[in-house]
Amino acid sequence: MASVILDRVTKTFGDFAAVNDLTIEIRDKEFLVLVGPSGCGKSTALRMIAGLEDVTLGSIFIGNRKVNDLPPKDRDIAMVFQNYALYPHMSVYDNLAFGLKLRGTPRMEIDRRIGEAAEMLGIDGLLKRKPKQLSGGQRQRVAVGRAIVREPKAFLMDEPLSNLDAKLRVQTRAELVKLHNRLQSTVIYVTHDQVEAMTMGSRIAVLKDGILQQLESPQTIYGQPANMFVAEFIGSPAMNFFDARLVGKSEEIRLEGNSFDLKLPASKAAKLTGLIGKQIVMGVRPEHLMERTNGHRVDGDVLRAHIDVVEPLGSEAILTLKTGGKDFVARTAYSSELRPGKEIDVVVDMEKVHFFDPNTQAAIR
Amino acid sequence: MATNTLTRNLRINKMGGQTSRLFVHAVLISLGFLYMYPFLWVLAGSFKTPSEFFSSGPSLIPNQLLWDNYVYAWNEGHFSTYFVNTIIVTVSVTLLVILFASMAGYVLSKTQFPGKKIIIGGMLALMFLPGGYTIIPVFDLVQRMGLLNTLWSIILVQTAGGLVFNTLLFMGYFATISKEIEEAARVDGANLPRTYWHIMLPMAKPMVATVGLFQFMINWNSFWIPLVFTIGNPSLRTLAVGIYAFVGENSTGWTYIAAGAVMSIVPIMAVFFFLQRYFIEAVAGAIKG
Repeated sequence: MASVILDRVTKTFGDFAAVNDLTIEIRDKEFLVLVGPSGCGKSTALRMIAGLEDVTLGSIFIGNRKVNDLPPKDRDIAMVFQNYALYPHMSVYDNLAFGLKLRGTPRMEIDRRIGEAAEMLGIDGLLKRKPKQLSGGQRQRVAVGRAIVREPKAFLMDEPLSNLDAKLRVQTRAELVKLHNRLQSTVIYVTHDQVEAMTMGSRIAVLKDGILQQLESPQTIYGQPANMFVAEFIGSPAMNFFDARLVGKSEEIRLEGNSFDLKLPASKAAKLTGLIGKQIVMGVRPEHLMERTNGHRVDGDVLRAHIDVVEPLGSEAILTLKTGGKDFVARTAYSSELRPGKEIDVVVDMEKVHFFDPNTQAAIR
Repeated sequence: MATNTLTRNLRINKMGGQTSRLFVHAVLISLGFLYMYPFLWVLAGSFKTPSEFFSSGPSLIPNQLLWDNYVYAWNEGHFSTYFVNTIIVTVSVTLLVILFASMAGYVLSKTQFPGKKIIIGGMLALMFLPGGYTIIPVFDLVQRMGLLNTLWSIILVQTAGGLVFNTLLFMGYFATISKEIEEAARVDGANLPRTYWHIMLPMAKPMVATVGLFQFMINWNSFWIPLVFTIGNPSLRTLAVGIYAFVGENSTGWTYIAAGAVMSIVPIMAVFFFLQRYFIEAVAGAIKG
């Protein structure tokens, strides 16, 4: 296993920069997730590490060796593709053995590694089958197995779960994490699914338009997003944003919006004193909004809203609400009282709100 | 009452359906017979004596199964030699066309290099050149290479002739194979030739079968090129040219021609019989796009 370093890497296609000045150090044995929307450059970054795309500027190191000019076969990496890319004319055994045969691995060693990987992945009964005789989940395991038998310095995975159905995806997600723990391998995992990113990654790198937005642990990314893009992208349903103005004095700062007037708790107020009188964006996660109950006494943390849509999820419900012409979403305990058209008081957990600069969109901390 | 009417209508429809199906079958069988009649007539003719051949008219039943025509064509007509020549030429050309056309098709479909579009455009333009225009320069070229009056001349010229169209066919086929598979092979450690040989060519099996079958048929039946390049050495003739040798200045051995034709058709029918599954798959695939 080895660390992988991207040092100021840029990739351009004509005038378009798919990856722009990207610097990431993926530590040895780390499970790093590259996440972002379509076209953010995450797959291009992975393909550059694999050697499937040339690097326009910057350097890539795998295990302290600069690999910019090395072909994929000499980088000692293995890749799991989105569509698995199994060789359809070969049996599962031959699919697993192909890379080893090309490297001149002795037959006994090939058999040993395939035996181990097949047992680990539960595909030992399928070795004689052709890929078309396998289910989607089995193919996915074979694709992972093909990477494992190579015993590479790093595993590169390009959305390997996106072709599985929802249930199998959840199950395989957990299995991949277990596999990582067992193999103690360096994994670079690309996905557009923020749930996968949050549940699997030791650290998450969020990309947008080829630029790294934030590189932190999942909890930090969720709890302290660097900007509005990260705040909105990570978390489901997405974070709500409200335009507001900071008013008042340092001992009591209030947030004045179109249809609300909220009081900042002391812990938040201290950091925002310098911005009194200025416009600001308040970010609130749906899980930090709840319907006001009779017992709730605190003042200055309630806004009045109109229920547009109720999506019951069993114990809780996703509410689409409207206040002052602005739509927002709350995740709250379900009750049959919650009906579209009803006006409710929504309590904002003011200790957990986020603030952003409306011009730069960066977080204000 | 309503149920009865419905049942009756259904029965009438069913009967109507059966009648129309019988009619369609009758028409198709007649058409099929019309298509096959000349072949059956040649087959029957190959067992007839020359006098019976001319006197029996369109009859498909010979008086007796006379094998003399086959024996004569095989021994005196040198069909044994022609047969071997034809196998050598056909098998060689078919294998070479599959090999070179698939390699060229793979490179043109999956790699980028300067001038690629010009090469493809040039190949397309070449397809519109009638063979007759090129035979003199090709003859000249083969002569300068010192290959005139050898089977190599036929093999080379026929292979070259078969490359353009089949390269484009392979190019189209390889373009449909997912890029990820090729990339997986690269990551696994395969270079371009190995990816071609271990991954791409086996994956193009239906196209290999189609091109193989077409090339086998075309070359087995080819007349023009083998005639031109064996004109100075009759022992290099292929079957198609050999049959023509029975056409004499004063008389023509029609029954020998019939026997020769049957001998040359049987192998090609056998090949088609074994490869028809791939053939149909590939043609159906081509239609589906």
